[in-house]
Amino acid sequence: MGDLLFEAKGVGKTYGANTVLRDIDMQVYSGEVIGLIGENGAGKSTLMKLISGVEKPSMGEMFRMGKPYSASSILDANHQGIGMVFQEQSLVGNLTIAQNIYLGREKGYSKCGFVNWNKMNQDAKKALGRIDMDLDPSRKVRDIDFAARQMVEIAKVLDVVTEAANGHAIILLDEPTTVLSDEEIKKLFVQVRNMKEQGNAVIFISHRLDEVLEITDRIYVFKDGEETAVMPTKGADVNLLYEKMVGRTTTGEFYVEHKQTVQTDEVILEVNDLSLFGAFNHVSFELKKGEVLGFCGVEGSGKEDICAVLVGDAAPTAGTIKVKGRECTFPNPCAARKKGILSVPKERRDEGMIGLLSIEDNIIVSHMDELSSHSFLSAKKMHQVAENWVKKAGVKCFSIAERINQLSGGNAQKVIFARALESGCEILILNHPTRGVDVGSKEEIYDLVRDMTAEGHSIILLGDTLDECIGLSSRIIVLRDGLIRGSFECPVGNKPLQLDIVQQMM
Amino acid sequence: MANKKKSFSISDYSKYMCLISIVLVFGIFSIVIPNFIGAYSLQNMMIEAAPLLLMAGGLSFVIYTGGIDLGAGPMVSCTCVLTGIYVARFGNVIIPIMLVVGLAMGLLNGLLVTKLKLPSFIVTLCTTNFWSYIALTLCPNGSEIIPMDKRFMVKWATQKVAGIPVVFIIALLGILLLFIFQQYTVYGKSIYAVGANVSAARLAGVDTDKAQISAFVMSGACSALAGAFYAYKLKSAVPTVGDALTLTAIASVALGGTSMAGGRGSVLRTLIGVVTITGVTSGLNMMGVDPLWKNIVIGIILIAAVCLNSDTKGRDLIIK
Repeated sequence: MGDLLFEAKGVGKTYGANTVLRDIDMQVYSGEVIGLIGENGAGKSTLMKLISGVEKPSMGEMFRMGKPYSASSILDANHQGIGMVFQEQSLVGNLTIAQNIYLGREKGYSKCGFVNWNKMNQDAKKALGRIDMDLDPSRKVRDIDFAARQMVEIAKVLDVVTEAANGHAIILLDEPTTVLSDEEIKKLFVQVRNMKEQGNAVIFISHRLDEVLEITDRIYVFKDGEETAVMPTKGADVNLLYEKMVGRTTTGEFYVEHKQTVQTDEVILEVNDLSLFGAFNHVSFELKKGEVLGFCGVEGSGKEDICAVLVGDAAPTAGTIKVKGRECTFPNPCAARKKGILSVPKERRDEGMIGLLSIEDNIIVSHMDELSSHSFLSAKKMHQVAENWVKKAGVKCFSIAERINQLSGGNAQKVIFARALESGCEILILNHPTRGVDVGSKEEIYDLVRDMTAEGHSIILLGDTLDECIGLSSRIIVLRDGLIRGSFECPVGNKPLQLDIVQQMM
Repeated sequence: MANKKKSFSISDYSKYMCLISIVLVFGIFSIVIPNFIGAYSLQNMMIEAAPLLLMAGGLSFVIYTGGIDLGAGPMVSCTCVLTGIYVARFGNVIIPIMLVVGLAMGLLNGLLVTKLKLPSFIVTLCTTNFWSYIALTLCPNGSEIIPMDKRFMVKWATQKVAGIPVVFIIALLGILLLFIFQQYTVYGKSIYAVGANVSAARLAGVDTDKAQISAFVMSGACSALAGAFYAYKLKSAVPTVGDALTLTAIASVALGGTSMAGGRGSVLRTLIGVVTITGVTSGLNMMGVDPLWKNIVIGIILIAAVCLNSDTKGRDLIIK
């Protein structure tokens, strides 16, 4: 074990009368990767905010290399060699990659108020090269995909921090893998190991326990704002971590496979020769009633675009979509909903939750036409519907009048699911339904998915992980470069191997 | 998360801001001006507030969507002139006619915003000139008085039932209808959803175009009614009556605590905002303050209200 880079003693945080974090002791040594896990609201992000200088602790002390540590801002923390890569991306879309990396540090490149862009671009190229990224630094951030943005963000933080603390930096990664594909995750892990070998320390937050087990040396487990366990990664396993996080053992059967339904022969959706120029080509498939059809493929394989077309968010350039044998075109998502197709979108905060509205309004919003008579909605009926779903989906809240943006990620996602189910749509497109959702809620969501198919819904699933996709689906279609490369039947007890699917994806 | 208690912050003050301000305004003026809460003064204020109530009530819906209707005032001018000139010929049938005119004006705004995908402030900033044009060409010599022998047709509006002016009762009924529209119709719910998060609402299958159009149509119709009642109140066609009203109406909506960024607010809040603003303007009037100061004061109120209302996280921008 290397030098002690950072230590927290009895650190806690209160907001008013509400304590969200208490009595946290943590040691970070040079050359180690620390895993930080816990359900949503367990206090992981709060601790990260305290360390990275976004907020100040209400109690306890922190030490940086033996000296008392406090950071008044992110920048201040950066100067002390601590940098954070945020979960919600903090890049500015209409600036270039280089401008983003050196945002707030342009002084080093300017003379008499004029900035030497060339030099900045060259340095940015180097910074990107440090994590093996080959990107043109003069491109605008909004023109690159999410995964690349994440890498730029990491390059940026790494650049700032290594400058300040030669070999003794601490990098905080808050769920860096959620938007990355499997291959990109591998790349990221290589970089994490690099940083570690140089003597830096990395704190890694993730909901994916397998990743935590793979990359970390020690694991801190948080539950309800308290530290419930610290353990070396060697000797830990998913079940143990799960138990410490949730406070109960896993049901073993994570994907509720015993409830997987066998699809009927009734074809509910038929897609023929569908193409969207530049995204996918000649895609044909059938979706049967009661089926979970998984789409697998790396970012850019076209799976997202197919979903966009199916929900009416993009217009196809060729091909036909038939719902229950009737050919349809969807000029907008409203038209798709009326024909019985609705999605649970990928970006929950931006595309799923209508943040300022109540839980109730969020649930009924996709079913208003049918709940109303002559456009008038009855308050009683709306309450009933919402109460019913809150109970059924297990949403934890004070009342249905609460705003949805006051719920934690998992609970908010359950409300979005309730909306999709209430809509009466028979075809549901679940786009990364468990992204950023804690393990406990994940299980409840899987259960909901099973109930959906049992009730006769048909589902197109874009899984958050390959494992999830295989576990939940009854059939999988693999896409690569916009073309269908293969399909796998996934009956209970005879699931295909990950490796076979990955081979088709790459 | 189960026992999360909310800490007290500025946003909690802003929740009650409209109530605090109404008490403050009426409290201060009633001390300074002895007759401020007298029967005569209150009746006057009600007549004053009635058209503004309708106009701001309708405008609220556009603001719920996160948009703005900068043409609301000139719409009032336009319909005030049309009413003033044609009420002699058509009688009280002019009111439903104006309603239709207002619907059409709102529909034009709504279609331009949704079909051409333009920001509402650009569209309404441009269309507003049509309404002014109509008002000014029909009344080239300033205001035109409704002929004496036809006055009996418009007298009812300012008459009183149990001490309350008829026009104010109508305005309150209007607000009640708007409240029902806002709270218990598909349109109302969709309008809020669009204002709160347009891309999420779209993906949830809400007809976002319809929602936006209905908000503009509502605003147009309410402004048109307001214009008709101004003509009734002033007993003449005044082509400049609405010029300053856009500001006053927006200030009323904001003072009520409705978010300029959309997604939250209520016409009941707008009601309180309008009463407060009317209190301020009448009070200044009775104190003999130069009327030129009126708009400056309202401007300051608007800035203060938006400032207090806006989310401290800074997501409350009027750019949509």
